[in-house]
Amino acid sequence: MELSLSNISKTYKNGVKALDNVTVDITSGMFGLLGPNGAGKSTLMRTIATLQAPDSGTAVFNDINILEDKISLRKTLGYLPQSFGVYPKMSAEDLLLYFARLKGITEKKEREQIVQTALEITNLWEVRKKSVKGYSGGMKQRFGIAQLLLNSPKLIIVDEPTAGLDPAERNRFLNVLREIGTNNIVIFSTHIVDDVKELCTDMAIMNGGKILGHHTPAEGIERLNNQIWTKNIQREELEENEAKFNVISSNFNQDNSLNIRVHSETQPDESFSLGTPELEDVYFVTLHKDSEIVAA
Amino acid sequence: MFYSIYLFELRYWFRKPLFYVYCGIMFFLSTLIMATAAGIFEGITASINSVTIVNSAIAINALLNEMNVIIFFLLPSIIGGTIFKDFDNEMHSVTFSYPFKKWEYLLAKFLSGLSITIIVMFFAAIGIMFGSILPGTNPDLLGPFVLMNYVQSFIYYLVPNLIFYGAIVFAVVTFTRNVSVGFITVLALIIIQSFAGVLTQDVDNKILSAMLDPFGAQANGFYTEYWTIYERNENPLPFGEIILYNRLLWTGIGLFIFGFVYRTFSFDQEAFSFSFFKKDGRAITKKNFGSIMAIKLPKVNLDFSFVENFKTAWIISNTDFKYIIKSWGFIIITILGLLLSLATIAVGAEIYGTDTLPVTWQMLEFPGLFFGLFINLLTFLYAGLLIHRSRTDKIDQLVHSTAMPSWAILLSKFFALIKMQAVLLIGIMLLGMGIQIFNGYFKFEIGQYLFELFGIKLINVLIWGLFALFVHSFFKNFYIGFFLLLVISIGITFLSQIGIEQSIFKFNQGPGTAYSDMNGYGSSLGPYYLYKVYWLLLGIALYVFSIIFFRRGVPDSIKERLDEASKAFSPLLKTIFSICLIGFLAMGSWIYYVNNIANENLSSKEREKQIADWEKNYGKFQNIAQPRIVDVKVDLDIFPNSRDFEARGKYILVNKTAVAIDSIHIDHNNYLSSFDFGNSFELVLEDDSMNYDIYRLDNALQPGDSLLFSFEISNKPNGIFRNNSPIRKNGTFINNSLFPRIGYNSAGELSGEESREKYGLPPKERMASPTDSMALKNTYIAYDADWINFETTISTSPEQIAIAPGYLQKDWVEDGRRYFHYKMDSKMLNFYSFISAKFEVAKDSWNDIAIEVYYHEGHKFNVDRMIKGVKRSLDYYTDEFSPYQHKQVRIIEFPRTGGGFAQSFANTIPYSEAIGFIAEVDEENEDGVDYPFSITAHEVAHQWWAHQVIGANAQGATLMSESMSEYSSLKVLEKEYGGDKMRIFLKDALDRYLSGRSVETRKEKALIYNENQQYIHYNKGSLVLYALSDYIGEDKMNAALSKYIDAVAFQNPPYTTSLEFLSYLDEATPDSLKYLLEDMFRTITLYDNSVKDATFEVQEDSTFDVKLDFYTAKYRTDEEGKRKYSDVNGDSLSLEIEGRRRPIESLPLSDWIDVGVFGQDEDGKEKVLYLKKHKISEIENSISIVVNEKPTSAGIDPYNKLIDTDSNDNKRSLKEEKKTDVSDR
Repeated sequence: MELSLSNISKTYKNGVKALDNVTVDITSGMFGLLGPNGAGKSTLMRTIATLQAPDSGTAVFNDINILEDKISLRKTLGYLPQSFGVYPKMSAEDLLLYFARLKGITEKKEREQIVQTALEITNLWEVRKKSVKGYSGGMKQRFGIAQLLLNSPKLIIVDEPTAGLDPAERNRFLNVLREIGTNNIVIFSTHIVDDVKELCTDMAIMNGGKILGHHTPAEGIERLNNQIWTKNIQREELEENEAKFNVISSNFNQDNSLNIRVHSETQPDESFSLGTPELEDVYFVTLHKDSEIVAA
Repeated sequence: MFYSIYLFELRYWFRKPLFYVYCGIMFFLSTLIMATAAGIFEGITASINSVTIVNSAIAINALLNEMNVIIFFLLPSIIGGTIFKDFDNEMHSVTFSYPFKKWEYLLAKFLSGLSITIIVMFFAAIGIMFGSILPGTNPDLLGPFVLMNYVQSFIYYLVPNLIFYGAIVFAVVTFTRNVSVGFITVLALIIIQSFAGVLTQDVDNKILSAMLDPFGAQANGFYTEYWTIYERNENPLPFGEIILYNRLLWTGIGLFIFGFVYRTFSFDQEAFSFSFFKKDGRAITKKNFGSIMAIKLPKVNLDFSFVENFKTAWIISNTDFKYIIKSWGFIIITILGLLLSLATIAVGAEIYGTDTLPVTWQMLEFPGLFFGLFINLLTFLYAGLLIHRSRTDKIDQLVHSTAMPSWAILLSKFFALIKMQAVLLIGIMLLGMGIQIFNGYFKFEIGQYLFELFGIKLINVLIWGLFALFVHSFFKNFYIGFFLLLVISIGITFLSQIGIEQSIFKFNQGPGTAYSDMNGYGSSLGPYYLYKVYWLLLGIALYVFSIIFFRRGVPDSIKERLDEASKAFSPLLKTIFSICLIGFLAMGSWIYYVNNIANENLSSKEREKQIADWEKNYGKFQNIAQPRIVDVKVDLDIFPNSRDFEARGKYILVNKTAVAIDSIHIDHNNYLSSFDFGNSFELVLEDDSMNYDIYRLDNALQPGDSLLFSFEISNKPNGIFRNNSPIRKNGTFINNSLFPRIGYNSAGELSGEESREKYGLPPKERMASPTDSMALKNTYIAYDADWINFETTISTSPEQIAIAPGYLQKDWVEDGRRYFHYKMDSKMLNFYSFISAKFEVAKDSWNDIAIEVYYHEGHKFNVDRMIKGVKRSLDYYTDEFSPYQHKQVRIIEFPRTGGGFAQSFANTIPYSEAIGFIAEVDEENEDGVDYPFSITAHEVAHQWWAHQVIGANAQGATLMSESMSEYSSLKVLEKEYGGDKMRIFLKDALDRYLSGRSVETRKEKALIYNENQQYIHYNKGSLVLYALSDYIGEDKMNAALSKYIDAVAFQNPPYTTSLEFLSYLDEATPDSLKYLLEDMFRTITLYDNSVKDATFEVQEDSTFDVKLDFYTAKYRTDEEGKRKYSDVNGDSLSLEIEGRRRPIESLPLSDWIDVGVFGQDEDGKEKVLYLKKHKISEIENSISIVVNEKPTSAGIDPYNKLIDTDSNDNKRSLKEEKKTDVSDR
């Protein structure tokens, strides 16, 4: 099972280059697409989900040419957009049965069964008769997962699903995704590093419409071994440190002092101590490198 | 702050392309409408023959108000949009936190929207101005340009109406935060307005209905309803107090609504909403526990086969369908529409205050407005809402990423629309059956309902549904789509005016269907379905376009959409598209071929030209000597099943002139015909297109000699889709116009002044003067015969009865056909009919006169009333006028599809099933007239007034036929039902006369010069003759009439004229009343009588002293309707009245007018206490009358015997004056 994208580009009418020669191969498992707001993640997701045509490039899932044979891909696709609404005055159950029909499940028995399973998995069984319009944010996201499960998809695309969820909701949500991800491709975009850290088997970092790095989370961290240095400074010393060192992140401590992290192959000076690299560091380093290239 | 918000909003709109689209559409539309009305397309279509100016104040106002109604549909988008965009863009949470006051915000929003709307309206006005000055318009149809006409219309009507409707829309959108609700509100308001219009039609109190109309149109109509053509062309827009109060009322309500918004509005963020089904308020507590579980999805099979997708479309359409029928818009509009239909049925089915039976075809016919307008509006509205629904609710990405093909998703929307349409149609059926049950009519024809609604109407609205989906899937903006659909659907009906006449060029148009109880749908279904299939093919082809242009996903540019579309245009869709398009074009070509090439089809321009050529080519033959028909024998074979006929006829022609006639001119029609003159003859001219032939006889016909002319006529075979014969399966009704005529027919000439000028023909009166001796040679019925002998044998299918004038000599069956031989024993006009249908027969007699009514099975309801009508008529007419010339009176029903009238032939009266046969006469109903009785009396009267006395073919001829038949039937009605019924009849006649003269297309003539003008000969005639008999006495009047009949009945040429008729009345009229003849017959004279004050005092001897102050004024109008107040000597009366701008003027008076005082009897019914004619010679009058019982009302001419444009101010309730000291006064 493999999704391979090559040389996908897309420039919007207003001149924004949303995708810039994106080439990536994705196999079974959870694939995290990490990037800041406006990186082009959603455009890429919509392109894979057949809802948007790129200007150039090819996209193939197994034997399906996504850009040409949209219907075949959709049969095996589960898509949860970044934001979605529902028809008012319709219960979760009715709406899922509606989607089940749209997704081609023609046997009534099967429809009812899969809808029940989806409701149970997403823990919406108790509230299946309630109008989805009245659901809380988390419940609505779970409903989104329920609807994408209906056609037993092989390729699942979820666009920033955890935004705005409380920690427990988020956990539960990610677990469900993870379960699904074991035998299928789940592509999942986020700007939250922890999401990726916790459950992705593979990941890419994206910004400015480009894939900046593609590796497993562990590989990424591995690469930064002995290259992350930390030190506590006062707030007013930050600008001076930033000028001198390659500061990739800075966090306030409780006492209003700052903890800064610096990427360097060698110890910048003796005031720095070696830090344990984290996925967040990978993310910032990647983005940082990119902006340096742009600046140069 | 106010100004900055206001200006910001204006700038916002000025930057928006939508604003320019609206302005452009309104400008273009107005220009087109005005230019069309002003005759710019006269060159490509027929001439507009009208004396009404299209840019008079009243016409401009009417047009501007129509454009304003279109603009009402823009209000939600413009006024609603200014406030809605803050909510829509979620800006309100930000903007509402800015420091401005509530009034500034709301007023600026409202006024900016209003200003923009008014600017759009300006463009409509400019379009109208532009349309009227375009080169190519006809100067005869245009008056001078008067800017004031526009200004006044804006001030009086347009702006106040925009404020009122704008405020409502503003309120609705502000509170619901939903522009579609604003939209539905506009629809609902317009329906309510037309609803009020229908309801108030019947109301006697015109002031109330004038006040109740939020458009102000009824208030305007209050003043202009009876304006003559002159007044319409010349007068400025009236502005009386009724209009003022109406405007104040509705603008006030508008401002009040705005005030209400101001009071209730707060800058909070929650929209006001309401729901049909109350939601329970239970909070949902989410479960956060239970975490990791194994996910085992049951195995499902995905099936995207064509059949399954089709089924899916059907099933998921239920979701959209439920959405529609649960939405407020649908519910409100449907309920209003049904109420409107109910009101239309209640009002529409009444004739002279009497209901008709709620037969099924009526239940289906009257909700025509509902069918035509509301189903279409709802289709246009919901097609758009469904197309855009998933995007509006932001569920589109979920739906569009499923593997369901676009055609199936779109199909589900189409199915939902059809289901909605079906619900509406069922609504009609339930409404109809409800009315039937309510009226105790239990003959339910469910099959008829279902066939009409689902077999006929559904396919029509369904094609509109396909079209609406097509338009909406193209336009991202719902309003543009809806607006376009609205303009297209309304505009289509006006295409003929710009020269596009054939239905094949007008979307979803074609021949309609017509149903009658007697003949079912006749032959109307074939052509109807043919055209519907034709349009359905186009509809499907367009639908394929909707599929490929279906907006799936998030296309970024037009190019992308085109790319997507070309990819989506799969081979299958290409095949369907091609088949439909080819089918459409092939059918269109075929229809075009059949209608234009295989058969002759004339556009109205070509027809006009042909009529002009008729006169140019053959007009010279008008006065040449021709023989006249004296004897007719016809054998007519009717074949009801194949709808064919064959006729063989023989005329005996006599040369009644003093010269020898060597050539005979035959004017015939385009049926297959052959002619023979017995001895040898030669065809010297044959005109295939105008069907005028000239035959030269080898031996000229000498004066006094006769000739046998025989002919054979049959129809070309009927095609499935083209009818070439007037024969019906059941209920054939044809007359002698089928047969050849001798000589040139001058009635076939162009009559419109404009058209005549266009083709270089000299001006011509519609009819010749009664002093024109040439005109007196013919009756107005025939120019080729005087009186004839008549004999006929008709054959038809065995179950039918065939009837023609004359008496049945023999009736037999031979070779499976039934034959009827009729022969008339006395002379009659050359005017006869043939009827054949399955009939039931009711028989009766009066003295030795046989009475027979032939009626359709099940239509027995009023047969007895008709028989009674015949008997009472024979009673009265034989007593008062002269003996009846025949031995029999027959009434014969014919299908309503043949017309809604009754007609009198010698001893034979064909009578439409739509009138009389299905009347529901309620003897208890004081306001209803037994019209089966009265129409029968009118038709029987024609046996005297037309069949004994027949006027020459000159102005005023119909005074002796139609007016006299009305007079006669009124007298019979009065004898049977009393004077009260007269008043209903006369009031109706007065209204019809006054309305009729206001839409005259040429000249209003005095009664004795009338040119077959219905509002004159029927309505004014009945009023005037009835009034005259009241003045001079019925006995004296009838004696004069009887004397006149004696003198002129069955006369030979020269024929009698209205002048001769009037001389008999003149003889019977005393000198003091001779002015009546001048006023009523020779001129157009109107009164303006009104009560100024009416009081009474109780006297000591318990009598009542009634004091009545009133004004009387009399004036004449010329043929255009311009008033004159001075007589031939230039004398006139004038009275200055305080508080009035102009004095009251009048012709000199010496007139006898009724003064009446009324009380009440025990039942509370009106009772006459005093009624006497007083001689009135002043404008201002005061009369005291002593009565013995308590009076309640009094009036001048209280029964409206005189013609008065405002008949409601003639009578007033009396106020009691208490005896008081003089000093108090």
